[in-house]
Amino acid sequence: MNLIGISINHRTSSIELREAVHLSTDEQKDFIKLLRNDVLKEGFVISTCNRTEIFGIPKTNSVGNKALFEKLINFKNVDGLSLDNIEKFESEEALKHVLKVSSGIDSLIIGDSQILSQCKESFRISVDQEFSNTISRKVFDIAARVGKRAIKETLISQGAVTVSYAAIQVIEKIFANLNTKEALIIGAGETSELAAVHLNSRSIGKITITNRTEEKAGQLAKKVSGSTIKFEDFRNHLHKFDIIISATSSTDFIVNYDDIKAAIHKRKGTPIFIMDIAIPRDIDPKVKKLDNVFYNDIDSLNIIVDQNLHKRKQEIPKVEEIIKEEIDGFYSWYNTLGIVPTIKSLRSFFEEIEHDELSKIRHKVTDEDYIKLEDMTKRLIGRILHNPTIKLRELAESGDNLDKASEHTSAIKFLFNLDNIPKNGKKE
Amino acid sequence: MIETIHSINVLLPILYFLTFSIYLYDFVKDESKVFNVKRVFLFITLSLHILYLLFRTIEFNHPPITNKFEIFTVLAFSLGFAYFLLELLTDIRGTGAFIVLFSLVFQVISSLYIQDLIEVKEVLRNRLLGVHVMSALLGYSGFTIAAVHGVLFFMLYKDIKINRYGLIFKRLPSLEILEKLNFYSVLIGFILLTISILIGFIWLPVAFPDISYVDPKLISVSIVWLVFGIGILTKLIAKWYGKKVIIFSLLGFTVAILSLLASNIFADSFHSFY
Repeated sequence: MNLIGISINHRTSSIELREAVHLSTDEQKDFIKLLRNDVLKEGFVISTCNRTEIFGIPKTNSVGNKALFEKLINFKNVDGLSLDNIEKFESEEALKHVLKVSSGIDSLIIGDSQILSQCKESFRISVDQEFSNTISRKVFDIAARVGKRAIKETLISQGAVTVSYAAIQVIEKIFANLNTKEALIIGAGETSELAAVHLNSRSIGKITITNRTEEKAGQLAKKVSGSTIKFEDFRNHLHKFDIIISATSSTDFIVNYDDIKAAIHKRKGTPIFIMDIAIPRDIDPKVKKLDNVFYNDIDSLNIIVDQNLHKRKQEIPKVEEIIKEEIDGFYSWYNTLGIVPTIKSLRSFFEEIEHDELSKIRHKVTDEDYIKLEDMTKRLIGRILHNPTIKLRELAESGDNLDKASEHTSAIKFLFNLDNIPKNGKKE
Repeated sequence: MIETIHSINVLLPILYFLTFSIYLYDFVKDESKVFNVKRVFLFITLSLHILYLLFRTIEFNHPPITNKFEIFTVLAFSLGFAYFLLELLTDIRGTGAFIVLFSLVFQVISSLYIQDLIEVKEVLRNRLLGVHVMSALLGYSGFTIAAVHGVLFFMLYKDIKINRYGLIFKRLPSLEILEKLNFYSVLIGFILLTISILIGFIWLPVAFPDISYVDPKLISVSIVWLVFGIGILTKLIAKWYGKKVIIFSLLGFTVAILSLLASNIFADSFHSFY
C-alpha cells in the first residue's frame, strides 16, 4: 500500500513550531486543494494545537514525504521548521501511526479523549472537499473504530489527567451528591473559568463567583449559570460553601487560617473542600490542620494526575493489540482490491448471457413461466459463481497467496475473455 | 437431618470464605465481572445459613441460642444478613469485604466448637426468649456494621487529608456515604436493641420471679442503649455531622463490647445461661 504521511508533533517540535504550522478549518480546506493539485490523489489533514498530520496516496511514485513537507512550509510560510522536525511514514507504518493518533496513545496526554473527535472532523473535511476515495475512506473507518474500541475495551481514557478533573475526583470522595452542594470560585481568570465549567458539568448545586473586578465575576457567573458575591464581603460567607476554589493573581494570602476556622465552626463539622490553584497560593495551607477541612493545592492534585497517567501508560499494549487486529483486517480488505474488478466482470459476463438467452424465449412462454425461468437462471448463475468468488477472496484475504490469486485472476480473465466482453456476452 | 446439619456446618465456613474472597477481590481489582457475582454468593451463603439455623431449631427442639457457639453462628448470619439488606437498599458495595470477614470469623469458630445439644435448660426453649436474643443480636450486628463503616470513614478521611490516593481512596464510597451507612446501621441496631429490651422487660419478670433490675447485664445494656441514643439525638436534633457522629458510634460499639465481655465473664447474673 502506498500510503505516505508526515507528522509534526510534541516529540518532534517545540510548541512555537506546532502553533506555527497549525491549520484552521478554512486553512485545511485551502491546503487540501493545494495537495490535490499535484501531490496527493486522496488523503486527509489532521491539525490540532499539539500536532499536524498530512497523509494520503501520492499521485505519482516520485511524490514522497518531502513533497508534503515542502507544501506545508510554503503554505504556512514557517521559519525554522526543518526535516528534523517531522516524522515520516510510509505504507503499513503510516497506517499504524494514524491509528495510534486516533486511539490517543500518540497524544501528549495519553488517552486524550478529544483527539478522536478531532480526527473525525478532519475526515469529514476530507470527504466534503472530495479528497477522499476508496483507501482513505477505509482508513477513516478503521481509525474511528480503533478510537472507539480503545475507549470501550481498555482503560486508556480512564481517570483524571488534569488538575481540575483531579479536584473533582477528590470532591466526589468527600461528597456523595454534588447537586446539593455550593461552590465558591475566587477569581475570574482562565483557571477559575475552567474549574467553574468542570463543576458546572458535574451538576453542582450552585456556583458563586467573587472577583476584585465585579464585571468579570458577573461574566463568568453568567457562563456557568451562577451568582456573584462582593470581593470585600466573601470572607463573611465562607461557611455557606462546601467547595472553595481559588485562582487569583494575588501575591498574599486572601483567605487565612482564622477565616476557615470560623467557617468550619459555623458548619458544625460539615466538611469544606478547598482547592488552591493559584501560584503563589491564595489560601494559607495551615488550614489543612483543621478538622473537616480538605485542602489541596496544585502539587497534591498532581499526585492523582501522575497516578492516572501511569495507569494509562500501562494500557498502551492493549491498544496496540487492537491496532494490530485492525491493520490485519485492513490488509485482508486491501488484498482483495485487485480481484474485485475481475469478480464483477465475471458476474456481468454471466448476467449478460442470462439476459440475452432469456430475451430469446420472452414471447414463447407465459408470463408466469418466464418469471420461473428468470428465477431459475439467477439461482443457477449464483451457484456457478459462488465457489470461484469465495476461493479467490480467500486466497487474496489471507495475503499469503497473492501471486496465486493473481494467476487465477489472469486465468479467469483469459478463459472468459473478460478484458474484451461484448455487450451481449456472445463470443466474438 | 443430623447428617445434613453436620454437612452444612462444614460447608458454611467454606462459603463465607469464598464470599469474603470475592468481595476482597472486587475491592482490590474493581472488575465489573464479579460485581454481581459477589452478591449472588452472599445470597446463597445466607440462604444456606438460614436453613442451617432452621434445621438446628427443629432437630434439637430449641432456637440456636443456648451456648456461645450457637450464638456465634447466629451472629455470623445476622451480620451477613444486615449487610445484605444494607447493600440492597443503598446499592453501595465497596465495604462488604470488611463485614463478611466478621461473619467468616464467627462462623469458623462456631463450626469448630459447636455441639449437638438436645438437653438444655427449659427456659432456653422459650420462643419469646428466641425473639429477645435474635433482636439483640441483630441490634449488635447493626452496631458492628456501623463500627466497620466508622473505621473505614476514618481511614478514608485520613487518606484524603494527607493526599494519599491509594486503594482506600479509589475503592471506598465517599465520606458522606460512609457516614450515612454508619448512621443508618446505628439507627437500625438501636431500634432492634430497643425491641429486645422491651421484650426483656415483659418476659423476664415472668420467666424469672427473682429478677433484679440492678443486674450487671441489664445495667450494661442500658448504658449501651443510652450512648447510642444520645449519638442519634445529636445527629437528628443538634445536626452533628461527620467525625463527631462517627466517634459516638465507635464509642457506643466499644462500650457494647466491653460491657458484654464484663457482664458475661466477670459478673454473676440470673442472665447467664452458659
